[in-house]
Amino acid sequence: MRKVALVGAGVSKFGVRKASYRDLIWEAGKACFDAVPGVKPRDVEGLVVGSVMPERTAFQSHISSLAAEALGIRPGALSARTEHMCASGTVGIRYAYAFIAAGLADLVMVLGVEKLNQPSGDEAILNMGTGVDREWEAAFGLTAPPCFALAAQRHMAEYGTTEEQLALVGVKNHTHASKNPNAHFGKGATLDQVLCSRMISTPLRLFMCSPITDGAAAVVLASEDRARDLTDRPVWIRGTGQALDGFQLTSLHEDYAHWPALRRAAGAAYRMAGVTAADVDVAEVHDCFAIAELIAYEELGFCAKGEAGPFVAAGRSDYGGDVVVNPRGGLIGCGHPLGATGVAQAAEIFVQLRNEAGARQVPDAALGLTHNNSGMGEHVVMLYGREAA
Amino acid sequence: MSYFRAVDPFPLESPEQTRLAAFYAGLADGRLTTTRCTGCDRTAWPPRLFCPECGADGVEWVDLPREGTVHGFTVQETGLPAGFPAPRVFAIVTVGGHRIFTVLLDADPARVAVGQPVRFVPLAIDPDSKGNPRWLPAFTPSA
Ligand SMILES: [Zn+2]
Repeated sequence: MRKVALVGAGVSKFGVRKASYRDLIWEAGKACFDAVPGVKPRDVEGLVVGSVMPERTAFQSHISSLAAEALGIRPGALSARTEHMCASGTVGIRYAYAFIAAGLADLVMVLGVEKLNQPSGDEAILNMGTGVDREWEAAFGLTAPPCFALAAQRHMAEYGTTEEQLALVGVKNHTHASKNPNAHFGKGATLDQVLCSRMISTPLRLFMCSPITDGAAAVVLASEDRARDLTDRPVWIRGTGQALDGFQLTSLHEDYAHWPALRRAAGAAYRMAGVTAADVDVAEVHDCFAIAELIAYEELGFCAKGEAGPFVAAGRSDYGGDVVVNPRGGLIGCGHPLGATGVAQAAEIFVQLRNEAGARQVPDAALGLTHNNSGMGEHVVMLYGREAA
Repeated sequence: MSYFRAVDPFPLESPEQTRLAAFYAGLADGRLTTTRCTGCDRTAWPPRLFCPECGADGVEWVDLPREGTVHGFTVQETGLPAGFPAPRVFAIVTVGGHRIFTVLLDADPARVAVGQPVRFVPLAIDPDSKGNPRWLPAFTPSA
């Protein structure tokens, strides 16, 4: 297989945006092209667009072609949309990676976009039910919060994880987001604010949950030769893994505090890269809810099973700790425009490994990880490394 | 509501709409049923048209027990989808060796506990666009 690198990345402002689906595509695409001056839209041979529910929110299908036209791209090697719920963006990156690694393309853009706050707030939440099983789950009114709340209840009962430890994930990620001008939230949050925010689904409170966000993000992937032509600081894809345990809640491990699919996906990525969890300097993990970040520490191997609560409380997942988790603010602080999230995670690792992250730079970051999931039963992990000095 | 019906969140349950119609007909009769593989005798939850364990193509309908216990639960207080009232007690209940996702009806959210005994109750929901009645498998505390 050929080596593949990220050579450019850009994101739109995330939030409840006064902007259309196409506006968001324009914003992220323009920011990405600005980051890699040697690439013009006509040079891009492929486009993969991660987007989950434009049929419901923008009343629009045929997304990849719409985005290609908006950006002036005329794909000759690859044009596709990925819909894989919350992991759609990273699944798109894996397709682009595989195409380039196989020699079927040299330069591919992956763009993730979602316009969730449309047509109304009530309907935005109703739409989220499309990501779980309509017949056996969504029909009861199920969306994501109760799923992850079940995991939180179990983790607390089994390992003594506390509400305060859950809240500290919210504090950390809201604080990180305050240094990211593109984040949904910019004011930070105190422990009291998180613990006193309204209850969503016991024990998860508002500031322990990601919001409903509009946004887009884009990255450009290149073969080794093209990457070296375009930049002296490519960010190499070192490893990747994806694993599914099950779709319905009742198909998953009966102990919802255990996510074996994440362990499998991470193991595949670590083996491919020839590294271990201890080598990771910076990680963008899928904190759709605070409990997800805690369980991710354990299944990714940053700490032992059951020790995620003390791990976050000791600051070991923050600046100065073992690994900086979610420097851009995560899904909790940055927002979660479904299809855009995985691509935005990659965009953050791109700037971190190039020492371009400004106020949120992780010192001397050399190895970065992204973790994107679609519910508790399906996980995607990527490992990225900077050019050896 | 007519606007939201464009996003009908409930299953299509009639024999014209699904090959699992027998399950929903069972709910209407107050019975909780599922499928058993005629090749390997494994019982599935939810019911399904073929057995992925042995690949046999025959299944038969069997009754599940009406009693179960709470395996896990959460009380959603805010942020429910349009049309679903809060608070809502979502639960995984263990019934006859299967885990079933459901809601607990007439349950005091402050008194729900893991291990609590529950019993099956069919929950009537909005009819489909042709006026056919529809049901979901719900549970309620036994005591
Ligand atoms: Zn069988």
